[in-house]
Parts: sequence; structure tokens; C-alpha cells
Amino acid sequence: MGTVELSEGFSFGGGKVRHNMAADLNWAIGGEAGDGIDSTGKIFAQALSRAGRHVFTSKDFASRIRGGYTAYKIRTSVDQVQSVVDRLDILVALTQRTIDENLDELHDGSAVIYDGERSWEAEIPDEITAVDVPLKSLAEDAGGAIMRNIVALGAACEITNFDVEYLDESLEKRFGGKGSKIVENNKEAARLGQEYVRENYDFEELGYDLETTDNDYVLLNGNEAIGMGAIAAGCRFYAGYPITPATSIMEYLTGRIEDYGGHVVQAEDELSAINMALGGARAGARAMTATSGAGIDLMTETFGLVATSETPLVICDVQRSGPSTGMPTKQEQGDLNMALYAGHGEVPRFVVTPTTITECFWKTVEAFNLAEKYQTPVFLVSDLAMSVTEQTFPPEAFDMDAVEIDRGKLVEQDEVDEWLDDEGRFRAHAVTDDGVSPRAKPGTIDGAHMSTGLEHDELGRRTEEEDERVQQVDKRNRKVETAKEREEWDYREFGDADSENLIISWGSNEGALVEALEYLEDDGISVRVISVPYIFPRPDLTEEIEAAEEAIVVECNATGQFADLLEHDALTRLKRINKYTGVRFKADELATEITDKLAEEVPAQ
Amino acid sequence: MSSDVRFTDFKSDKQPTWCPGCGDFGTMNGMMKALANTGNDPDNTFVVAGIGCSGKIGTYMHSYALHGVHGRALPVGTGVKMARPDIEVMVAGGDGDGYSIGAGHFVHAVRRNVDMTYVVMDNRIYGLTKGQASPTSRSDFETSTTPEGPQQPPVNPLALALASGATFIAQSFSSDALRHAEIIEKAIEHDGFGFVNVFSPCVTFNDVDTYDYFRDTLVDLKEDEDHDPTNYEDAKEVITDGEKEYQGVMYQNENALPYHEQHGVTEDMSEIPDGAPEDAMDLVREFY
Repeated sequence: MGTVELSEGFSFGGGKVRHNMAADLNWAIGGEAGDGIDSTGKIFAQALSRAGRHVFTSKDFASRIRGGYTAYKIRTSVDQVQSVVDRLDILVALTQRTIDENLDELHDGSAVIYDGERSWEAEIPDEITAVDVPLKSLAEDAGGAIMRNIVALGAACEITNFDVEYLDESLEKRFGGKGSKIVENNKEAARLGQEYVRENYDFEELGYDLETTDNDYVLLNGNEAIGMGAIAAGCRFYAGYPITPATSIMEYLTGRIEDYGGHVVQAEDELSAINMALGGARAGARAMTATSGAGIDLMTETFGLVATSETPLVICDVQRSGPSTGMPTKQEQGDLNMALYAGHGEVPRFVVTPTTITECFWKTVEAFNLAEKYQTPVFLVSDLAMSVTEQTFPPEAFDMDAVEIDRGKLVEQDEVDEWLDDEGRFRAHAVTDDGVSPRAKPGTIDGAHMSTGLEHDELGRRTEEEDERVQQVDKRNRKVETAKEREEWDYREFGDADSENLIISWGSNEGALVEALEYLEDDGISVRVISVPYIFPRPDLTEEIEAAEEAIVVECNATGQFADLLEHDALTRLKRINKYTGVRFKADELATEITDKLAEEVPAQ
Repeated sequence: MSSDVRFTDFKSDKQPTWCPGCGDFGTMNGMMKALANTGNDPDNTFVVAGIGCSGKIGTYMHSYALHGVHGRALPVGTGVKMARPDIEVMVAGGDGDGYSIGAGHFVHAVRRNVDMTYVVMDNRIYGLTKGQASPTSRSDFETSTTPEGPQQPPVNPLALALASGATFIAQSFSSDALRHAEIIEKAIEHDGFGFVNVFSPCVTFNDVDTYDYFRDTLVDLKEDEDHDPTNYEDAKEVITDGEKEYQGVMYQNENALPYHEQHGVTEDMSEIPDGAPEDAMDLVREFY
């Protein structure tokens, strides 16, 4: 597919990223949910991006609106960064718990910024530099206590020798709508923080000095990339029901899709959302819904209808930790079997699983093309880690000129006659060699037809005739076979292609794996990484697995759903690395896990 | 769209498998007549059907149609209409589809006020599964699953609609052919969500809510000169009248804006460019 090749052109993971203590900085702000942690972190991330630095963010958060520990973490470097690591250099701690939660990641070169005037007594290990800044008092001097986090950003700028002026633009972006006074106050708050640190501390020996470049980057997360991909791909109708972590796709589209003649509707539940989207698609629009967790359970009711009525529909599942309500704000890749098998009966479908934030964009475009070309439900399966991570990219990574739209066999008015039967009736489910039938949208003269979840004949009318049943089942499955032949279902590859150590992964683990390569290389271990963005149809990895001495499947779930599939495909046992703590893989942690797993003699049970 | 569309143009060549005498024949005929009389055409009409005896209607009519999942016909119709404001959308289903499994959607479709017509073929029984209580069955109506009757008050769909902020509420009787078609026509012409509860008797499994019962008891609001459908209190009175049942337009609020006008949803969303929109790089630049 054209979009694949293009996106491959921006395979950031392919480049060699050397990182060491000086090259990448790990910064975080943590406190209580409701403390403005998220927006403060985003302001700093944007400032770094404006300074031509790459950024990769992650969030520790609880689902409560207020109360409970939450943190926004930034890893930044002049090189591309695509993972978090177990190291924290600068921490803005609004609570003692923030310090306690991150003790393992702090080291003797770390600095912790805190407000000594607050009621809590900060307990900070001696080897860590404690930076006591009267955040609240200085914020009040600037115009209001609410700006204490911005004071902390100013302090962080001073410690890292980062020009505070870079904050100005992101403060304007964030507060511009609230008037120039607010913006000026915030700028002042940042400067008061910076000056306080400059006057009271000397951090020369910590040695933090953030380099800047002239590069222009955009900063966005996976859900924004999916939303932007949808608009680019011509999606004009979105129906959804709010659910963490899928909601931000809906929020992105709201207020933007209208500019292109589209609309977002908030349905009363997920049962309704998917059926509204289905209605939009039957009406000829490119339509989509997105959900997570229990939402995908509810939508399952309609999967079979989408497939049998041969409706092109993109259904996005931003996976979160399950089962049931599980851990709604935590990472997991537990819905792979769901995406593959959900729905009673046998439901033909495609399952596409973007592996990076740029791929969230390109795979969304591809999902819409697949849906219309094959008139089949397409499951676009992302995950929480990608949905909340903000990452920098050169804008060309989302080159809109490279977006291609293929509407498949959507018939024009002058083509309708070809598809009428002897009595002038439109054959919406015509049995064809490639399995794909013509599609007439409402308003097309003589195209009127029925579609149904019942088994049907070529005209879409109910039948239980054995021959017709078999013909329709075969034709729907034949579409998948056709797609297998016509489309490219490639994997993405990193590391040493000739290595005898093979690591296979799907979804968002790619970034951490690519960075783990560097750690492994330092230890003299070479590995070949295969990152799979298509689960069904999927690339046949039999040869690659057979060629390897050791093969390990890495995924964020407990049972190894992808490993099971691959074992089935290749008829061999594979080693597994599974993580289901609710936290994504980190590069350094993964390198250690891989090293240990390679040394294991017997494949895991 | 030609102006000489006849109601039979909306009829498919598939013979209905409804029981002889089923009220759904009359309900469907009225829908077809009303569609033709309002200047519609099978190629600009989309019929969404629910599940149950009533759900078969999509097969017996000729138009663009979808026969979907039980209870979800209204969301499908909503999606069609939002994506294609130029298309006439008619949703049809039964009392089980609309007031039981789809009751949640009913409430929200009503308050959304999407410009479409919702015809509920209310026979107060589950016919396709051979005679179980429906949400509109009488509380003492004995069925295979409720041997002593449901022992619950039936849902009053008209009151439910009124409470949900409906802008058009009507009721008709499938065998009063002219009147039924006329009421459906008014619902189609209503600029918003046109809801019609149609008494559509089941001759096989319901021996109380029969043709005779409705013929003998139904009061036509047309003959009540005092009833003003634009008056909320008048509507409330007939809708919550525990003694008598009515046919006609109970309530109509002509001042409420339909969804598409409220939200500026006016474009044919099926028309898109061959690539990304011209100014799509602006979306990327937003992330600087």
C-alpha cells in the first residue's frame, strides 16, 4: 500500500540513537490528580519541542478527577526518543508521594524541586539535590497561587540551563484564550522561579545543559494522530461514547471535522455509537467509532452485522487494562483475541495495529481504504500507552500530499446498469471473482437495495437456500483472500537482520524495543526486531522464526495472545516476555528482560 | 426523482410472510402511500428495520434499506440522516424493538430530534417468537412466559416520548387505512423526529388487542375540535388518559429546530476528495 511505503520513509526507529546521561534528560512533574500536572507537563514538552528538541512523554495517572498520585514525564534529547527509561533527572514534586513513587528512578545526579513552605516535610535522600523553591509564594507574587507549577517550570529551566523564553510560546498557546494578562502573569511566574534558583543555588556540577536546534517539530499523541488520520482519509462521520482512553479521539475530531463538512455525535452508549457509525457508512460516508474496554464488548453485538451487510466501517479499540473495568488508566494489549474473534459466528474482518504515533496516522488512512475496498469491518487496535504519549516529529512525517484514497467499488451513476439483474434490481451482494460486490450509496438511481444481518441472496434479501448461503459465506471470506493477495502485509524491522536472536512484537512496544537494541548492543548482544502492524491478515513469520536460534515474543498481556498465534502459524514453541502491571515496557528494562530470556534454556510454558 | 412515483413503487416483489390478517400489511401500505404522497422516491429513501415480525418490512418494501440488530434501528437511522441530510429516512420496528431492547435509544432519538420518521408497529405481543409478553402488553395478559400476566403496567410510549422532549407524537391504527397513511404523512412532513405508534394487531397471538377492540374503542382526535396538538397540556391530557385510547396527532412542536439545523449538519458526507483535504497540513501545523 502506498501509505505503508511512505510511512516507512519515516521509520524513526531505524536510526541509531545513542543516548547517555548527558544526551537525554528525563524530567517529571507529579502531584495529586487535579493539580494541573498534565497541562504543566504539556507546556514544558511544547517548550522543548519549540527549542528543536525531541520529546517523548508518558503519564502515570489515576482515573479519579481529583485525588491520587499522578505524574507527567518527559524524556527529551536532540535525537529522536521513543521510549521511557528507568531514570529521572529532574523531578518537580508537589507531594511526598511523588518523591516516594519515583525513588527507584532518582540517582545521585538528580534534582528534586519542591516547595519547602508547604505543610509537608519533604524527605529527600541525601545524595539527591533538593531544590527548595517557594512555589506558592512566588506564584502569588506573579498574580496567583494557581501558577505555582509554572514557577516550578522556571526553576527547572534554570537547573537545566534552558532558556525560559522557550516557555513563552507554549504559555501563549495554553493561556492565550484567557487574555494577555493571564499570559503575562504566567511568563512572570516562570521568571520568578528561574531567578529564585539562580540567586540561591549553583547547579554547575550537576552539569545539565539542554542543547537547542533550529528544527521545527510537531508534538502529538497517538489518539490525535488517529483523529487527524481520519480527517485526512475522508472520514466525515464519527459516533462515539466517552470512555478512557479513547475519548480524546472524539475530542480531537469535535470542532475540527466540521470544517470539512463532517460531524461528531455523542451517542447514548456504545451499542448506539457503532450503529450510528454503521448508518453513516450505509449512507455512503466514511464513518468511524472508537472505544476501549467494556465499550468494545458492547460494540461486539454489531460486528457480525457490519460484516454480513458488507458495510465499510473502521472500529478503533484503544486498549486498556482489563478484564471488566480492570485498570482503566493503565496500559495493556489484552484485546488481540477480541479483535480477531469477537462476535458470534464467523466474522470476516481486518485487524490493523499501528506500532508508533506516526503509524497511528498512516494506519488510520489505510484502515479506511481497506474498509471501502473490501466492504469489511476494520479493527484499528491501538493502546493506552500510545494514546497518552506525546511525541515530536518533523511535520513531513504527516505528509498530507501522500494520503491516497481508494473507495473501492463505490458505483457511479453511469455504472449502476452493469450491476442490475434481469428485472432491474441492484445486486448489492453480487457474487464476484474477488468477492467484492458493487456498492451503491443512497440517492443513486436504480441502486436501491436491501442489506441485512440475515443471510441473504445477491439482492440482500433473506434466504436459507443452501447454495446461496454457501455462495455468500464464500464470497465474504474470498474478500479476505483477495486482500491477502492484493495488499502488502509487511512487518517493520530493526536491529541486525542476520542475528540469530529474534524479537517479535506488535503495537506500541516498538519504540522501547528499538531503544533496547542500543543497550543490548552495549552488552555485545545483537538482535533482530520484527514489529508487526497487521494481526489479520498478518505476515507469515515461519521462515524468520525458523531462521532464528532464539525467538521471543514481547507483548503487554499475561497470556501471550500474539505468541499463541505465531506458535500456531509457525508450529513451534516461542519464548515470551509478558508485562501486565499496567505500565508500558521501558527500553532499559526490556533490554534486561531480553538478555535474561535469551539465556533461558527451555521455552516458557 | 420523478413526480409520478406511485406507492407501489415502494413495494418489492418479495411476498410478505406475515400471517394472513396481520396488521403489518396495513401499516406498511400506509407507509408506502405516505412516502409517495410526500414526493419521495425509492432511490432517495432509506428504510431502517428492527428485528421481529415488523423488522421484515425492509424486505417487502423497495428502497435503500438496512435490517439490523435488535433494538438498534434508531441509531442506524440517525447515522444515515446525519451523513445524508438529503435522504428521507424512515425507521420501522415493533414494540419489543422500540420499547424494550431499544428503549434507551428511543429516549435519546426523541430528544435528539433528528429529522426522520419512526413507525412503531405496536401489537402488544412478541409474535415472531410465538407469543410472549411485550412492554406494551396489558398487565393481566397471559402468555407462555407470563402465565398470570406480566403484573406490571405497560409502557406508555407516547408519555415516554412526551417526557423525553418529543416534537411530534401521533398514534394510528393500521386498518384505518386512509387515516393511518395521513398520520404517517404528517410525521414525514414534520421537521424533526416524527413518532407514530401504530396499533398493528397480531391475529395469531393477541386475542385482546384485536381489530374489533381498536375499532370499537379508538377515539379519533380529528373529531375532537378542542384538541390543539400544539398545546402541551392538551397533549398530556390525551396521552395520559388512562381510560381511552386515541388516534391522530397528539402533539406537535413546530418551533423546535431539527438536529441538523441545530448543529449545522447540512452536507452530503459521502462526497470526499481523492486525497487529504487541500488545507490538511494546517491540521499538522496545529501541533507546533
